[in-house]
Amino acid sequence: MTVPLIDVVNVSKAFGPKVVLSDVNLSVEEGESLVVLGGSGTGKTVLLRTIMGLLTPDQGHISVEGKIIHQLSWQELFEVRKHIGMCFQMAALFDSMTVFENVAFSLRRHTTMTSAEIQFRVEECLGLVGMKGTDQLKPAELSGGMKRRVGFARAIALKPKILLFDEPTTGLDPVMTDVIGRVILDLKHELGVTTITITHDLKSAFEIADRIALLFRGEVIACEKPEAFKVNPNAVVQQFLRGDADGPFLLDPPPPKRSQSTVSHSPLNV
Amino acid sequence: MLQTFLDPLGSRILGALDQAGDFAVLSGRTFRAVFRRPFDGENLMRQFLAVGVNSVPVVVLTSLAVSAVFAVQLAFGFKQFQAEGLASQVEGLAVVRELAPVITGLMLAGRVGSAMAAELGTMQVTEQIDALECLATDPIHYLFVPRLLAAALMVPLLTGLSIYVGYWGGYLLLVGAEGQSAVVYQSEFYKLLAFKDVRIALTKALVFGLIIALVGCWRGYRTRGGAEGVGNAPTSSVVTSSLWILIADFFLTKLLLV
Repeated sequence: MTVPLIDVVNVSKAFGPKVVLSDVNLSVEEGESLVVLGGSGTGKTVLLRTIMGLLTPDQGHISVEGKIIHQLSWQELFEVRKHIGMCFQMAALFDSMTVFENVAFSLRRHTTMTSAEIQFRVEECLGLVGMKGTDQLKPAELSGGMKRRVGFARAIALKPKILLFDEPTTGLDPVMTDVIGRVILDLKHELGVTTITITHDLKSAFEIADRIALLFRGEVIACEKPEAFKVNPNAVVQQFLRGDADGPFLLDPPPPKRSQSTVSHSPLNV
Repeated sequence: MLQTFLDPLGSRILGALDQAGDFAVLSGRTFRAVFRRPFDGENLMRQFLAVGVNSVPVVVLTSLAVSAVFAVQLAFGFKQFQAEGLASQVEGLAVVRELAPVITGLMLAGRVGSAMAAELGTMQVTEQIDALECLATDPIHYLFVPRLLAAALMVPLLTGLSIYVGYWGGYLLLVGAEGQSAVVYQSEFYKLLAFKDVRIALTKALVFGLIIALVGCWRGYRTRGGAEGVGNAPTSSVVTSSLWILIADFFLTKLLLV
């Protein structure tokens, strides 16, 4: 058996008394794309930040390319990070720089490319995410979906082996959600990268995923192929797939739905 | 009873030590990162502009005002025992040793230190600093070092400017308004001064520059909690660095004059 590219082993993380991840195990093979589903506040983002080394796990470890992230020195950690592209939920573009400078940032700092080569590479990256011709704009002039695509372009500039997407479609309209889903699929096929995508959007999740994991109260309760995930008998999985408020998913479920007949003065009935 | 009094006191002391330790560690990392590659000249120039060139009007105006007002009081005080001639000597002493470095330091803590805290604070809460780390760039090296270098060079230079403006502020008042002789003022201004005093002024300015940049960057980098956090970062940076400028001024004056 080959060594997985990303291996999350027994990772637990708590902030004060609040346990966010408890004993999470996940492994991602090279070239695979894993989608991590989960409700809001179940520790999905914390998981990605721990993989990036922005947070240190309380227990367990994460290894990327066989190196244990939290045991690396600063210099070694930065070397590993050059192979990982991170796409933030709110894009996190440098707002004092133009789109071009954002995408060129890591090229200028970590490579010896000439400015013509950098120009070419930036245009190539912007082309891959369908954002050609925006290079002189400032992030403030872009819409949410455009910002995220520029964020993708910045993440792929150094040709990373791994791409991490933190809720790439949250807060976008359905059409833009589909666009982003397609961009991720394109990147996966054209670059052959390994990806971990965090989302609550089921449609794009099933499009992107080779495997789907569901985080529930800090634990991975399912991690399998999309077809198997759909028919997983676990009540939590089925409730999440249905998108229903009733069931074991919420700790304090809302009051039951009102039936239509109790609305006595509906303006539609006049 | 005693415990209710000691508990909050103890946690306050621990909190303060925690902050001091954090500041010391970040400062140490900044100094170590100064010589690390790659050298980002463009970024450094931008900080020279923000810290140095753009601060010239503020420093000129405050130095002029403070030196002129100080001369008014000196002229009045020395007139009480017919020693008006001493006013220009004491004016020179005060401007070079104290007023120029301290006024420049305090003004820049307000103008530049707060801007650093606000900028880094905004970058922190919008995840831009995390994005820097993910692009394999040490935020200490990329953000702290150019600001530290710019402040360490520009605060002494602006102090030099402040001394020059302070000379003319005193001139304006003592020669222009009090009717003292211009020739006498020109020679008397330097009478109590030695070259050592310029060195003292520039050493103070260097220390103040380091305080301004490190405190401003530190408060910004440690910003937590959205808009309110970003609002608090500049305030606490100005208060903290002003306080340390005054404390450092006292000890530097005592130490350097020995």
